[in-house]
Amino acid sequence: MDKLFLLGMNGLIWGLIVALIALGLAIIFGLLDIINLAHGDFFMVGTVLAWATLQSTGSFWLAFIVAPLIGLILGALIQRMVIQPIHNVAALSIVATFGLSLILQETVRITYGPTPGRILPPIAQTIPMFGVDYEAYRLFAAAIAILALMAFFLFLQHTKLGIWIRAVRHDRDTALAMGIPAGRIYILTFAIGFALAALGGVVAAPITTVDFRGGVDILPFCFMAVIIGGLGNLLGAAAAAVLLAFLEGVMQSFADPTVARIASLVLMSAVLLLRPHGLFKGLTR
Amino acid sequence: MSVPSVEQCLWALFAAFMIAVPWIIPALSSSFWVSVIAEILIWSLLAASVNLLFGYVGLLSFGQALYFGFGMYGVAIGIEDLGLSFWPAFALGVVAAMAMALATGIFAVRLTWHYFAIITVVFSLIFYFLALSNKWLTGGDDGINFTLPPTFAIDGFSKSLTDPTFQYFFILGTVALCFWLMHRLIRSPLGKAFLAIRDNDVRASLIGLNVYLLRLIAFVLAGFLAGVSGGLFAFFGRYASASYMFYHVSGEAVVWAIVGGAGTLLGPIAGTTLFIIVREIVSTHWEHHSLIVGTVAILVVMFAPKGVVGLWNEWIARMVERGGAPAHAVELRTEP
Repeated sequence: MDKLFLLGMNGLIWGLIVALIALGLAIIFGLLDIINLAHGDFFMVGTVLAWATLQSTGSFWLAFIVAPLIGLILGALIQRMVIQPIHNVAALSIVATFGLSLILQETVRITYGPTPGRILPPIAQTIPMFGVDYEAYRLFAAAIAILALMAFFLFLQHTKLGIWIRAVRHDRDTALAMGIPAGRIYILTFAIGFALAALGGVVAAPITTVDFRGGVDILPFCFMAVIIGGLGNLLGAAAAAVLLAFLEGVMQSFADPTVARIASLVLMSAVLLLRPHGLFKGLTR
Repeated sequence: MSVPSVEQCLWALFAAFMIAVPWIIPALSSSFWVSVIAEILIWSLLAASVNLLFGYVGLLSFGQALYFGFGMYGVAIGIEDLGLSFWPAFALGVVAAMAMALATGIFAVRLTWHYFAIITVVFSLIFYFLALSNKWLTGGDDGINFTLPPTFAIDGFSKSLTDPTFQYFFILGTVALCFWLMHRLIRSPLGKAFLAIRDNDVRASLIGLNVYLLRLIAFVLAGFLAGVSGGLFAFFGRYASASYMFYHVSGEAVVWAIVGGAGTLLGPIAGTTLFIIVREIVSTHWEHHSLIVGTVAILVVMFAPKGVVGLWNEWIARMVERGGAPAHAVELRTEP
């Protein structure tokens, strides 16, 4: 029971972090229609930025501001220099973002180094919950992830830029005719996608490892969340990420991690086949 | 000269070069490059299997490493655990890959585009993790090493792949046969039906094509190509490992196929050659060759969005045009 609670809780919190990253992927996917194979590496860059901030300033907390900011800048640069020239053609975006992924991984390998590192949780306390001493940092991570998710949806619903993003996504030509600078909205969206993944990386850094290959495992997971949540359904993608990670955590409490991973993949293929347009189709909108 | 005759000349030159490789390459630099070329041939078959699905049927598969892996493990397990000789082990690998493609294809081809891409990744990840965890059968990440049985053994005369020249020609012959089969396929009514589905699946179904069945056939044929590729790779390395079933391998094959030129017969060879040659050249001088490989990938899609073969076709057409050929011969010959 203790183990079930612990692993279920870990899964839930991991799911909230993945939801941030998957949300970044979903807005890039939905607006620019590109398949971003480098998205896992955006997350990985976030973990490395957290480590770098901790090393250079001695404060982990600063990374919560620094990493998303650098993510925004890098994202804008990448969109302008790499994605824009290929005119959002899906097949070409696979190759370009694959190249980008190699470049990001290799750059981190050169600067950070090839060996995985760990960041100690900045909150060392544990909180007794249901007979388990639960790490306080994980609860804090969950709170940050929920806050960021809420902030993002508020931004999308209630700010001018958010409305512009939705407008361009809905109908690019009409949006252009209404005077919305679609080109800049693309840049902004890609930058926000990168920033969300980088923020996810900072939040996750003390829980997972800092490694130049850190994005490889998380990438298919994010894609699955986006697809299962329903293409274009941002809330669905976030919910699917939480659900998937939580189920995997629960399964880990009575099977070994690889078996749990296989079980969740089998489950996922069943969902894809039975509800190909997303788990939540018909529930929203 | 017209475009077809230019192409015929180039074909003859290309064929002559490929046959002469075991002699001219060691004379020019070192025999190391002969094995690089053999490896390129093997991987280009995997890229061809992506190309068959994406370039000709319009299905983007991110899971071809699964069938590559079945071809590879079919050979390795056939030889090491079942004690099979060369050809039965090869057949086991290819049949296993096709059977797996059929079993997963029944489900996968019900979906298209993004959904198809994701379900192929999911299927390949399931078997990747299965291969990792069932070490007794697959050796996991460490893999299985085996000793090569002779390819032919008739009346005391035996030939095996331990002879590097024979190995090169065995790989060249097998790969050439596969590409010839693909060339025939594309020109057959079946190939035309594939193209019809790629261009518009609704219209294809309205003229009476069974879209589901045709996609399934294409998926199994792609499984065949990937399986042959995996089997050859096992023979080439005398080795099979679960790490070759990871989605990264599938992703690289997709990149090779698109960079070479999706929907062209030779595109996969061009793309695979470009990437493996760049990697081999740079990696001997500089540890961080991935930076160059990544940059090449980005530059190719920026400046040659139709891939290397697309760029080549345009270039040839422009040359012919300048030579004053009649206008109708200038039309781009898009393979097929």
